[in-house]
Amino acid sequence: MLTQLIKLLENKESGLSLSEISRELNAQPSAIMSMIEMLVQKRKLIEIGPDGKHCTSCGLESDCNLLKAHGKRYVVAPHN
Amino acid sequence: MTSTPRTLFRLDYGGKLEREIARMVASFEENKFDTEHYPQRWLAIKLLECDADILERVQAMPNGAQIIELARQGAEKIKSMLGDEVDMITADHRYGYINGVVRQTLHRPNIDRITLTDRIDDVVTHKWFGLPFFFAIMYVMFRLVIDVSAPFLDWTDAVINGPIAHLFSFLLDLVLAPAWLHSLIIDGIVAGVGGVLVFVPGLLILYFFLALLEDSGYMSRAAFVMDRFMRVVGLHGKSFIPMILGFGCAVPAVYATRTIASRRDRILTALLVPLMSCSARLPVYVVFGLAFFGSRAGTVIWAMYALGILIAMLSGMVFTRTLLKPDASSAFVLELPPYRQPSLKSVLIHMWENTREFVRKAGTVIFAASVVMWLLLNLPWGVTNQQDSYFGKVSSAISPAFAPLGFDNWETGGALVTGFIAKEIVVSTMSQIYIGGGNAQPAEPTTFSEDLIGIGQGFIEATIKSGRILLNIIPGVHLIDPQKETENTALSDALRDHFTPLSAVALLVFVLLYVPCIATLGAIKHEFGSSWAVTSAVYQTAVAWIAAFIVYQGGKLLGFG
Repeated sequence: MLTQLIKLLENKESGLSLSEISRELNAQPSAIMSMIEMLVQKRKLIEIGPDGKHCTSCGLESDCNLLKAHGKRYVVAPHN
Repeated sequence: MTSTPRTLFRLDYGGKLEREIARMVASFEENKFDTEHYPQRWLAIKLLECDADILERVQAMPNGAQIIELARQGAEKIKSMLGDEVDMITADHRYGYINGVVRQTLHRPNIDRITLTDRIDDVVTHKWFGLPFFFAIMYVMFRLVIDVSAPFLDWTDAVINGPIAHLFSFLLDLVLAPAWLHSLIIDGIVAGVGGVLVFVPGLLILYFFLALLEDSGYMSRAAFVMDRFMRVVGLHGKSFIPMILGFGCAVPAVYATRTIASRRDRILTALLVPLMSCSARLPVYVVFGLAFFGSRAGTVIWAMYALGILIAMLSGMVFTRTLLKPDASSAFVLELPPYRQPSLKSVLIHMWENTREFVRKAGTVIFAASVVMWLLLNLPWGVTNQQDSYFGKVSSAISPAFAPLGFDNWETGGALVTGFIAKEIVVSTMSQIYIGGGNAQPAEPTTFSEDLIGIGQGFIEATIKSGRILLNIIPGVHLIDPQKETENTALSDALRDHFTPLSAVALLVFVLLYVPCIATLGAIKHEFGSSWAVTSAVYQTAVAWIAAFIVYQGGKLLGFG
């Protein structure tokens, strides 16, 4: 499943929502979410945006449109 | 009675890994390693997974170091054969097994599987309909913001240029202030800062609608749709974050490019971010939109936002095919929160925080710029005609460059130069030149109580007018004719004497696209060096000039001029 998930993300040209992945892999969104969290722990995916580690130094938090969009975003980590 | 022998469940991790697990279990016997209370197979798997806690415990056990070394060799072997760490392979098998069991045993009715959020998302994040839906939402929002806020903008303008200017004038007369101080405060600061503060009601209403969209969960979908669109035109997947930030302010957006690993992609994104219409440009759009297009101002402003995105996409396509060919992009996954009913408290907090930032900027950067502008408009000391001031002379010298764009007057040339500091200053400079400097119509003298009553009456009238405009949205309700509701702020009256609707649109296009503000260029220089900051300034100004030229000259050819 994890391999399928990574392959799916690597092969898709456009972004995917959680429900789209859920449909593609025929698995529950909650299960996909736990897989994503595991892949983040294993550094196979990188969490980006306000919930990641990239906004901590920004002083314009109240102005941030991304923060207001709330959703977490992940990208496939570059291969070493 | 016979009992069925109990078999322990054992998940098969595949031939190669199973052989390595068996080898580890055998090594426990060979090395006389006592696994104590740990099941042998479980311990072998944990050691191969390099589980930190287990490694620490085994290290402390007799012959533990030898076992750990064997496990390390085994894990490396597996990685070289299967291309991944053992813990990833075991997790993969476990998830696969669990998913298989769930699929075979749990049958959910279809009605539960497709939620209302899924159904809405099928439309709003659709591959083809998602983007038009996003632009339609933005169009409706801008129409509402402009139509509803217009009477309040009129009211704020009347308050600033009426009672507030009167109050300052009265206080200055009271302390027998010299004429130059009177001019600095009334013609410089009140006209300059006030010219920008006029837009606070519009921003409050804009941020209210944005907060509604954010709190409902739609903004995440909008980001998703935009991301897809960016990929279609060859931009990096992560570019969407800085791009969306750019609608607020380009400075944090440039710094947000740090989320992109490739330097080429970072530079490309930073070059495109300033083309997103930041909130500082909004006062320019609003003042020209209301002055020349009345009830259609919302459409004009929406068109500016859409044009900024379009030009960014076109520029991106040119850059990715010429100077900055991007690396292979990685896909991205987005967790879309479910739709929910926005909370009034949260919406009001968002609205206030954003507007407060705008007011803070008006009280600092624009205040300082207004004082400097007043000085430049009054130097050499004693100058009577503003065009003869240092500012006027420099502006007159550069204004011919704008003649093919339809706005070659020195006032506009000068205002565009000051917009380099911050885009709102274009409006405050125009306010100072057209409203300050003795150009405003002298007002009837009023008493303090008359001013107070006027403020209250004006607010009530603006509220009623906005309410009628809002009700007009309901089909079949015609409480007001928006076509007849032209706004007449002091600045819009002055602008109508110097611009035609066509030259006004050309100016808006120029303001949308020309050189980023100094803070943005500073951020680009800080992140990528001076050469890229210069590139950004030059290419954007060139794109702005060409686009405004096409709009103005093309419009004239089509008979709009």
